[in-house]
Amino acid sequence: MRTLRNLQGPALTLALLCALWLIVIVGLLALKPSVFNLGTVTTILQFSTILALVGLGQGMVILAGGTGIDLSVGGAVSLSAIIAMLSLKLGLPPVLLPAVCILAGAALGALNGLLVNGLALLPFIATLGTFFVYSGVALAVTGGAAQSGVPGWLLVWGRGVIAGIPVPFLTLAIPCFALAGLALMATAWGRWIYAMGFNERSARLVGIPVDRVRFILYALSGALAGAAGLVSLAWLGSGRPNIGQNLELESLTAAMLGGIAITGGRGGVGGVFAAVLLLVTLKTGLLQLNINTVWQVGIVGALLVFVLLADRLSQRWRS
Amino acid sequence: MSAVRQSGTGVFSMNGREWSLLVACLLAVVIFSVASPHYANPGNAVTVLRNSVELLLIGLGMTLLLAMGGIDVSIGIVMGLAAIAIGRILGADGSPFVALVAGPLVGALLGCVTAAVVVLGRVPAIVGTLGLLGVYRTAVFALLGGQWLSGLPSSLTDLLATTVLGIPVPALVIALAYLIVWLALRRTPYGLHLLAIGNSEEKARLSGIPLIKVRFMTFVISGVLTGIAATFYVATYRNVEMSIGSTSALDAIAAVILGGTSILGGRCSLLGTVLGVLLLRILQNGLLLIGVPSLWQPVVTGVLIIGVLGFEAASNRLPLTRFQRARA
Repeated sequence: MRTLRNLQGPALTLALLCALWLIVIVGLLALKPSVFNLGTVTTILQFSTILALVGLGQGMVILAGGTGIDLSVGGAVSLSAIIAMLSLKLGLPPVLLPAVCILAGAALGALNGLLVNGLALLPFIATLGTFFVYSGVALAVTGGAAQSGVPGWLLVWGRGVIAGIPVPFLTLAIPCFALAGLALMATAWGRWIYAMGFNERSARLVGIPVDRVRFILYALSGALAGAAGLVSLAWLGSGRPNIGQNLELESLTAAMLGGIAITGGRGGVGGVFAAVLLLVTLKTGLLQLNINTVWQVGIVGALLVFVLLADRLSQRWRS
Repeated sequence: MSAVRQSGTGVFSMNGREWSLLVACLLAVVIFSVASPHYANPGNAVTVLRNSVELLLIGLGMTLLLAMGGIDVSIGIVMGLAAIAIGRILGADGSPFVALVAGPLVGALLGCVTAAVVVLGRVPAIVGTLGLLGVYRTAVFALLGGQWLSGLPSSLTDLLATTVLGIPVPALVIALAYLIVWLALRRTPYGLHLLAIGNSEEKARLSGIPLIKVRFMTFVISGVLTGIAATFYVATYRNVEMSIGSTSALDAIAAVILGGTSILGGRCSLLGTVLGVLLLRILQNGLLLIGVPSLWQPVVTGVLIIGVLGFEAASNRLPLTRFQRARA
C-alpha cells in the first residue's frame, strides 16, 4: 500500500492502466481462449492508430486548459477524408492526397481555434457546433455513400504489416506520440502548455503567448484528425463519411483515462497512448465475443463517467 | 444581480431579441411561401406546430440548464428512454393514466442520475452528459432489442389528441409548463439563485446560495419536462424508433441560443426559446419543402449556433454596443 501511495502522477496512471489492461486481457482469454492471435494484435494496433492520433490532439487541447475541449474531432476525421477523396475526383494529382487530407484537417481545426480565440466562444459549444457542421457536411455532400478510388500505393502503406505491426502505426502514431512527448517535456512550448493549463492568468502575466499556443493546439488537433482520416483512407480503401462516428467520445475517454485532468495542466501523452491501447483491446475483444457494436459506445461512455468520478474521489482522498 | 432583475418583467414582455426573432419567423414563412407552392397551407402550419411540441418542452428545460452555465447533450436519448417506458406500459395494455405518470417519472429519475454525476460528482456538464449519452444510447438499443416499438394502442392518443374549450391539449400543457417555469425563474428565490450561479459560480457560492440543491433541481426539472415531451411523442406517433431523440439535444441548444439565452449564464429568455424553437422548425420544414435533403439539417443547425454566437461575440466587441449590453 505504501508503495502505491508513493507512486504519483504519470507513473501511477501508467501502473493502473497496465493493471487494467492485464485484467481485460485475462478476462477475455478466460471467456474465449482463442481471442488473441497475431491477427487480432494487428487489428488492435490498426484500430489504435486512428484513435491514438485523434486522442493525442484531444489530450493536448485539454491539457492547455481554459475549459479547452475539441468535440469536433470525429467530424474533422470524416470531413477531411471526404475532402481529400472529392478533390481527387476533381483532378488533384494523387501524390498530393496525404498532404490535402492533413491540411484539410488542419484548416478545420484552425476554424475551431478562430472561434475559441478570436470570438472568445466557449470551447465546448463552439466545437459542438462545428462537430455537427463537419460531420453533417461529410454525410450530406456524399449522400452517405463511400468514396472509392484510393491510389494503390497508399493502400500498400495503409495495409502493410511489419512483424505483426501495421505500418501506419509504426510510421505515424509512434512518431507523433514521441514528438509530442518530447515537445511537452523538453521544449519551452511544452512547458507553456502545462503553465497555461495550470493557471492561465499567471501564464499570461509571465508573458506566455497563450492565445497563439491555444490556436496552434486546435489546428494541431485538426491536423491529427486529418492524419487519422488519411489512415482510414489508406486502410479501408475508401472515404467513408461516417468513419469519425463516436470518436469525440472515445478520444475524450482516452484522454481522461490517460490521466489528463479535465481542467488542464496535469497529465501526459504516455498515459493517453496506454489508454488508447486499453480501449481498443477492450472493444476488439468484445467484438470477438460477438457482442453487438452498439454496446461499445455504452461501455466507453460508462468508462468516461467512471474515470471522471474516480478522479474526483481520489483527489478528495488525498487531501 | 441588477442584470438578473431587469430582463423580462412581464410574462409576455418582449425585448429587441424576441421581436427580431418574431420578424425572422414571419420573414422565413413569407420567403418559403414564395419559394414553394406546397408551403403556404393550413396543413403545413399544423405540421410545423405539431413537430414543435416536444422541442418546446425540452427547450424550456435546456434554457434553465444553459442559463445556469450547464448543458445536457443526452437529453434527446432521455426522451427516448422515457418513451420506451411509456410504450411498454401501453403495449401491455396498461392504463393510459399510468402511462401519463411514467414519462415524467422516468425523466425525473434520469435527471437525478445526470445530476448525481454532474452536480454531486462535480464533473463538467458537457463531458459528464456526453459519457451518459453513450450509456443511454446503448440502453435504448438493449431495451428495444433492435426492433421498433410499433403498433401501440391508441388509448394515450385518445386522451391527449382532444381539445379542451377548443384548445388542443398539447398547447394547454405547453402553456402551463411555460407559466410554471416562468414563475419559478422570475418570482421565486430559485430563479434568482439559478441566474446568479450562471453569472458567477464563485460569487454565488460566497453569497451562500445552495449551489448543489439548485443545480440538482434544475437537472431534475429538465428531466421531468423531457418526460412530458416523451408522452406527447408516443401519443402522436404511436411507435418508438431506434433513432428517437438523436437530434433533440442539438435542436434544443440551438433554439435556446437563438432565443438570446447566454451560455455564459446569467441571462435567459423563455419567450426567446419558444420563438427560437418555432424559427428552427419553420426553417427545417421550409428547407425540406424547397428540396434541400434532410441530411443538411444538422449542418444548418450547427451553422445557426455558431453564427448566432459569433455574431453576438463580434457585436459585443464594438465600443458602441457596450451601452446596449449594460442595458440588456
